Amino acid sequence: MIEITIPKLGLTMESAKLVRWEFSSGDEVKEGEILLVIETDKVSFEVTAPADGIIHPVALEGSTCEVEETVGYLSGDREEYEQIIKEHPPAAIETPQKVEAAESGAVPPPTAAVPSPAGPGGRIKSSPLARFMAAEHGLDLTTISGSGPGGRIVKADMVRVLEEGPAFPGKRAAGLPYTAADAMAKEPLESIPIQGVRRVIFDNMYQSLSQSAQLTLHTEACAESIVALRERLREKDQGISYNAILMKITAAALRLHPKINASVDGDTIHVWRQIHMGLAMEANDALIVPVVRNPDLKTISEINHDIVDLINRTRDNKLSPDDLTNGTFTISNLGFADIDFFTPIIRPPESAILGVGRIVQKPVVKNEAIVPEQRIGLSLTFDHRIIDGAPGARFLKTVKDMIEDPVLMIS
Amino acid sequence: MTDRIMSCTEALAEALAEEMKRDETIFIIGEDLTAHDGIFGQFKGLHQGFPGRIIDTPISETAIVGAGLGAALTGMRPLVDLHFADFFTTAMDEIANQTAKIRYMFGGQVKIPMVIWAPDGGGLSAAAQHSQSLEGWFVHTPGLKIVVPSEPADVKGLIKTAVREDDPVIFFQHKKLFAQTGPVPEEEYLIPLGKGDIKREGSDITLITYSKMTYLSLEASEQLGGEGIDVEVIDLRTLKPLDFDLIAGSVKKTNNVLIVHEACLTGGFGGEIAAKIGEELFDYLDAPVTRIGARDVPIPFSPIMENFVLPQVNDIINGVKKVLNR
Repeated sequence: MIEITIPKLGLTMESAKLVRWEFSSGDEVKEGEILLVIETDKVSFEVTAPADGIIHPVALEGSTCEVEETVGYLSGDREEYEQIIKEHPPAAIETPQKVEAAESGAVPPPTAAVPSPAGPGGRIKSSPLARFMAAEHGLDLTTISGSGPGGRIVKADMVRVLEEGPAFPGKRAAGLPYTAADAMAKEPLESIPIQGVRRVIFDNMYQSLSQSAQLTLHTEACAESIVALRERLREKDQGISYNAILMKITAAALRLHPKINASVDGDTIHVWRQIHMGLAMEANDALIVPVVRNPDLKTISEINHDIVDLINRTRDNKLSPDDLTNGTFTISNLGFADIDFFTPIIRPPESAILGVGRIVQKPVVKNEAIVPEQRIGLSLTFDHRIIDGAPGARFLKTVKDMIEDPVLMIS
Repeated sequence: MTDRIMSCTEALAEALAEEMKRDETIFIIGEDLTAHDGIFGQFKGLHQGFPGRIIDTPISETAIVGAGLGAALTGMRPLVDLHFADFFTTAMDEIANQTAKIRYMFGGQVKIPMVIWAPDGGGLSAAAQHSQSLEGWFVHTPGLKIVVPSEPADVKGLIKTAVREDDPVIFFQHKKLFAQTGPVPEEEYLIPLGKGDIKREGSDITLITYSKMTYLSLEASEQLGGEGIDVEVIDLRTLKPLDFDLIAGSVKKTNNVLIVHEACLTGGFGGEIAAKIGEELFDYLDAPVTRIGARDVPIPFSPIMENFVLPQVNDIINGVKKVLNR
């Protein structure tokens, strides 16, 4: 028997939310298959089966579990499994937070209504009474969101639906008139709770814009040199991304303008000795910014290797919280969507972020003639509380110069 | 008619005096009955009022119950005072194998009109061997009726019924409730076995309880009422026969159930109630039937530890909130 525990994904991680189990008790799983998904305040992570076996989850979906807490058991055979389910019935015990809240006299807030979670096999959690009421009134439980523990549909939800009508009306029966009320209807197609990673983004973005003075400067650089650089490195059998080159250039520029690499801490400005550069990515409908350590000390190819590794782990939900912390500067590249310029939002406590646009041929005037040239858009947002317009502009100019002539990086 | 305020002890003594006056075959047998009016003063005045019908015995529960059983077989109506419910163990064969089964074994030719009166429960720092709630053992023994009253009026009405029963009745009284006072009707009345009582009406959740936990449940309900949670409290009063009609009516109204007893949780009577509700009222349930009982350990002597082990008002409040997801 193997205990399935919450892994410690980073030095600072103490607990995680158990988002969902991918299997039900008694299911046979293969080594490496995803058993459950957990979520810290920074990342979500898939816990895989350490061996073949029969899974028995004990911790509830939606519960908060401590690091190393046993959330399930993997047994080698049916006999062992039967033994385990006897010893460890599935948890239905009060969660620790709830006990704390009750003891401190505070009333825990009611669980927010969430769309009823269909567990493995499409099972919808609902109380017996809710099912009885649904049958009696001909309601479809899959259209009703549950406010009970773990999203269970309970009497209150049924009463609400019966009073208001279903939140997601089914197909209009043929022949029924399309009324004026139908034309005016405004109904949520989906109601998504702001929680987990979305809550972190939600709070961070608001905090960023409400607690700093952000200014964005735009410029355009000739990209011929970095296009050529990328081609040359590619010839040497190194697939290098523009992001790796731009990160190296930006890090070199930060070395010349150290005060851009800074944070506000109360009444103090910390100018950081190290450079740790985040790269904004999209994962599972959420912004995530893994950090490359010390790009100023690394070669372009080393940076490229780090970025590829972070992209892979972001895609596989295997980032640890340590991959996301202690950044000092961020690059956000929207060139893939043909964006030229934008106004990126600083990630507190950082003080600047470089927005990178697409590389595209544009007409430019050279020697009184219009010629085609690869151009790249650059947008630098910085915190005007600690970085004035002129030094911010000078930093962006350095980035532009280095893009146009990468040799400047080593000059 | 005006009610008088009496304690459970006074209500018991008054009921027994009335019954002993009415029926000369009733007598009380046990330890320390004349010298101390019973260990808790529960038979105050009876030995003066009914000389010769309050019988002191040596310290042998085996003998006391055996003597009571023999007397009952001859047509007498004994009330056997067990001193502490914990002492059931030494009379277990007399109770479980003889008292509970003789009427059946003799094909109904004999009756056993005997009451075994047993003070139970903890909360007095009386330690593990004098603090138990053992009703679960006896509901699991067919042939016995089990009474677990809380308030003085119920004690009086139920003991009067119990001594008139032709089958053996185990009458538990919680030690912490002896001094508990409450209104008791002036006029004569009986309370039938198998009739529970709604001690507080409510609409959000049904709290099913008995004995001392009735009072803790009522206190919890008052506090929960302040938070807008409307609790109904059912005092079962007798576990066998069980007033399941009362439970069903309430559960159909509230759709939520919390069962509270002082006996330890595992194997406690709460499990039986929960199972029966699950079997018969499944479609009325809006949340899992939940139980609160003592932790599965011997009752500690230390008051702090004893309070930790036995259910408290806060445990009931938290239990209600858990069921209601509040």
